[in-house]
Amino acid sequence: MPERVERPRVELTIRADARDARRASEWLESSARDQGVPPAHIVRLDHCLDEVLANVFMHGGTAALASSVLLQLGVRRRPGVCTAELVVVDAGAEFDSSASSNGPTPKPASLAEAGLGGLGLAMIRSFSDDLSYRRSDGQNHLTISVRWTEAA
Amino acid sequence: MGIRYEDVTDGVRRIHLFGRLDTVGSEEIAGKLASLAESAKRGVVVYLSGVTFLSSMGIRALVSAAKALQARGGRLVLHVDGSDVVVRTLEATGVDELIPVFDDEDEAERAAMTSV
Repeated sequence: MPERVERPRVELTIRADARDARRASEWLESSARDQGVPPAHIVRLDHCLDEVLANVFMHGGTAALASSVLLQLGVRRRPGVCTAELVVVDAGAEFDSSASSNGPTPKPASLAEAGLGGLGLAMIRSFSDDLSYRRSDGQNHLTISVRWTEAA
Repeated sequence: MGIRYEDVTDGVRRIHLFGRLDTVGSEEIAGKLASLAESAKRGVVVYLSGVTFLSSMGIRALVSAAKALQARGGRLVLHVDGSDVVVRTLEATGVDELIPVFDDEDEAERAAMTSV
């Protein structure tokens, strides 16, 4: 059976500013609920979004902070399986969160040895089902997918 | 989000965190959490049962506080109350292997009194 898109992809543009991260989260929750994404999976996307935006704001550099961030949300439904895709487009330094070379740092053996880096990437990977990345026109395009099953 | 604390008679400080500890929220409570952990007499139990969202910034604040307390010979432990998302965050980051996590309050407070 062909794939069916329930609704057109919705978008929000925010400033590259931590204060706008809350607005982004509220938009995500509202938009995802409107598109029928179950609450547990909205929470997963929300965690990923918070971490991705934090990376953009903290590590994206001046180009990221001087530009806006585009967010897009779409939901695909096929019999039994649904996928919500959140796309984050930013103009920051090139960074592929999906690449294994940019993976989380190894887990430390003790609290004393514990560093504080790489935690956000670990969370993005744990909370998502799939990540894909492309660099286009000087912008990072990261797609975060979560899937769930739904009775036909 | 919010933070409050209480000292109990046996040297344990209870720190209760509330609400959404996203990146912005975690930055707002990180300083207070650090100062409360550093000034504790001996052990600290951080109660996460009121937390609805825990970001990596929140995890960093917890790890920093635990490390600072451990350097003074104290111990910080976490109490969770069945919040799937908080537990999943702790597991995803491996923090549950670095900072003891309990779902029983008495066990948590006994563990906080244990010398490191």
